[in-house]
Amino acid sequence: MHNVYALYKCRVLRIYDLTDDVKLFLFRFENPSIAESWTFVPGQFVQLSIPGVGEVPISICSSPMKRGFFELCIKKAGRVTSKIFDLKPGDSVGVRGPYGNGFPVKDFEENDLLLIAAGIGMAPLRSVFMYALDNRWKFGNITVINSARYGKRLLFQKELEAMRDVAEAENIRIIQTVTRDPDWPGRIGRAQEHIKYANTRPDKSYVCVCGPPQIYNDVFNKLIEHGYDPKKIYVTLERRMKCGVGKCGHCIAGSSTFLKYICIDGPVFGYYDIISTPGLI
Amino acid sequence: MRYVKIKDEKVYEFLEGLKNYGKLYAPVKISDKFYDRKEIDDVKKIAFDYIRTIMPAKKFFIPPKEEMFEIDIENGEYKEKLEEVEPFVLFGMHPCEIVALRILDGIYMDEYADIYYTRRRKAGIIIGLSCLPDEYCFCNLRRTDFVDIGFDLFFHELPDGYLIRVGSPNGHKIIDENLDLFAEVNQQDIDAFREFEEKRQRMFRCYGSFDNIRYLLELTMQDKLWDEESEKCFGCGNCTNTCPTCRCYDVQDIPNIDGKTGKRIRFWDSCQFRSHGLVAGGHNFRPTKKDRFLNRYICKNSYFYPLGTSYCVGCGNCTYFCPANIDFLGNLLKVRSTAEEVKNA
Amino acid sequence: MKLRIGIHGLTSCYGCQLRMASVRELLEVAENFEIAYWYMVSSKGEISHVDIAFVEGSVSTAKDEEELKKIRENADVLVAVGSCAIYGGVQGMLFGKEYEEIFKEVYGDNKIEFEGRIGEPLKKYVKVDYNLPGCPPEEEEIIYYLATFAIGSYPEEKDYPVCTECRRKGYPCVLIEKNEPCLGPLTVAGCDARCPGYNVACIGCRGPLPHGIAWFDSLAKTFKEKGMSKEYIKARMEIFGKQYEKMDEMIEKVFEDED
Repeated sequence: MHNVYALYKCRVLRIYDLTDDVKLFLFRFENPSIAESWTFVPGQFVQLSIPGVGEVPISICSSPMKRGFFELCIKKAGRVTSKIFDLKPGDSVGVRGPYGNGFPVKDFEENDLLLIAAGIGMAPLRSVFMYALDNRWKFGNITVINSARYGKRLLFQKELEAMRDVAEAENIRIIQTVTRDPDWPGRIGRAQEHIKYANTRPDKSYVCVCGPPQIYNDVFNKLIEHGYDPKKIYVTLERRMKCGVGKCGHCIAGSSTFLKYICIDGPVFGYYDIISTPGLI
Repeated sequence: MRYVKIKDEKVYEFLEGLKNYGKLYAPVKISDKFYDRKEIDDVKKIAFDYIRTIMPAKKFFIPPKEEMFEIDIENGEYKEKLEEVEPFVLFGMHPCEIVALRILDGIYMDEYADIYYTRRRKAGIIIGLSCLPDEYCFCNLRRTDFVDIGFDLFFHELPDGYLIRVGSPNGHKIIDENLDLFAEVNQQDIDAFREFEEKRQRMFRCYGSFDNIRYLLELTMQDKLWDEESEKCFGCGNCTNTCPTCRCYDVQDIPNIDGKTGKRIRFWDSCQFRSHGLVAGGHNFRPTKKDRFLNRYICKNSYFYPLGTSYCVGCGNCTYFCPANIDFLGNLLKVRSTAEEVKNA
Repeated sequence: MKLRIGIHGLTSCYGCQLRMASVRELLEVAENFEIAYWYMVSSKGEISHVDIAFVEGSVSTAKDEEELKKIRENADVLVAVGSCAIYGGVQGMLFGKEYEEIFKEVYGDNKIEFEGRIGEPLKKYVKVDYNLPGCPPEEEEIIYYLATFAIGSYPEEKDYPVCTECRRKGYPCVLIEKNEPCLGPLTVAGCDARCPGYNVACIGCRGPLPHGIAWFDSLAKTFKEKGMSKEYIKARMEIFGKQYEKMDEMIEKVFEDED
């Protein structure tokens, strides 16, 4: 019998600094058959283990189109992630997954796509964005709103900036905004204040939102005000899963009429689930 | 269903014979007030009249602490650690605990089946035993007071023995291999069985249905009841540890002193603990004692849809073993009823 | 490279150090760490820069304070070891009273060479990075703390009470069954509920739970309902919990109506 908690050995290939406390890690599977068969849906996560230190859930931030490789964007936030920051190219880690439902990207096809991220929330949305770029012809207009408090905290800021020119030609709009940075030369204000600049057509759009829990209500209100369809708004939630497979109970959330394991029932939930269920955000 | 009868004078012989099918565990008295399931040497020590054990039967399938992997830190490898599982027999399981095990099955043996649980579950023979409720029991409200699945054999008390229901191929096998111990069920036995069930149904603390309690609970989450009740709570986790369906666990890597090897362990956790709702960066989804207190009410009263029953099986353990005397059922009755006598009870 | 560690004792019974010195894996500890200072074991060596300093005992004299500050200045990481270091311990249970009065009660008109104080936890004087609770700490935890440091990580501190280990062990609850004044519900776990396992109520020797989740008020209320007096409850809870923030307030609240 297969052990669902068994780990696949992965090798760290590249490490990039994204901000002062966030790094991007490129991994590949060591086992060739896993490398060939392993795939995922944007919005899914993996459990990453540092032997002897522990395991943490991290959402995948790359596109599933590149087999055998995946990228994780990791913020130094605790015991395990601190140790992940000590990794060097060539080091090995344990990985299992992918887990969770992911975004319904098949449903997104033939629609416009609006991605709204705050802070570390850009990580899972980058996976959706990269997937959409890899399948550009399947999607309509695309807007990415990337926000943070300070310019230096904007995840993938350079990567997104670099594609701005070609993006406009491809009907892709990149909006990067900060809330508290007087030195930032670009846009100022919260993510929701820039929804009006998106190139997406409200009646033809799917929306993905990810950020700290307190941003959701304001973002939702603005989206609805602009005419976006609540049925087509999705968010991805964060919990500290210990198992990832609906056992350990650490991610159980919701209320007595809608109790969910974020790891298997989520982490992606629809707008109506979120607003009708206390305890999800 | 197949029914047989065993007379009182044959019961100990039967129990002794059960040891041929695996290690026999049954409830025994461990102190003035408490019982627990222990390995049985002398079958005469089995407590047939026990109501609840301080450790629920989950301990046989999800041990309080277990090693999952051996870790080779130097080479970055986790090696699966599977301890040998020997066959065992759990005698004296009450209906609520049998339902509880089925709930755990639904979770631990789903599409992401847990190998540690599954191996133990497959090695266990479950023998049920009828019971009479005390003031803590409310399985009737949870519709878990009678089971027709989830056991190999089920013993129903008769004046002169037990009426046995056979619930699985393993159960049939045990009966067939010990046929001389059993008799056929006669009319007198059927009457006695009926009488026992009727008597039992009259003994519960309260009646009605809890099917709507999850909605009422959701609608009354702002009540001051929850401030008052959570104020009493120690946050000690006794309620979840003694709950037959609470299954939260935590995982930890324990390095050895050489820094080269170690083990990954898991152990019972509780939503009543502060760290349960913590996420990276220090945000806590259940920062206050009240949040954690209410979380258990929410979780227990929500439904495990594959079984069509709530996660709470109405065993009363959480109240019986609460050192702060918090009455789980009492609080739910306050949620269910607007009647003043209940509110003031 | 081996980590350099220092093991220090301020005012205390030296029981924590004795426990550290008697772990089964002591030889492995010596092999995997460079022990730069351990006065109890060897009078050689002086306080010098270490990666990790383990400090037992409370600050009960001016000399303790001075030594502690020196230890802190020379250590990258400081671990408070045991109840005295974390909460002041038994010698801190009279905190709030006048030192002179207590001194007189014990020693009469005798004089001592140094100026004493009522024992206080390390955190009142220096930054403490980690707490290794116990009276003394358990062998398993000592090894766990050391091993996590050895692999370049740090320990995960327990934030759950003795009760949960008592239930995991399957012991009868002495608080429910015998109405004993068990402090298990507010005491940090790690001992595998050793005392309740022998039918003895927990006295709280490992110290109250961290992060403000030791509910002295709720437990005092239950004790009160079992007929225990305020004085008795206070006296018992103060032995190891006196310097827990707001402990006095929490107990007073329960008896407010009567006073």
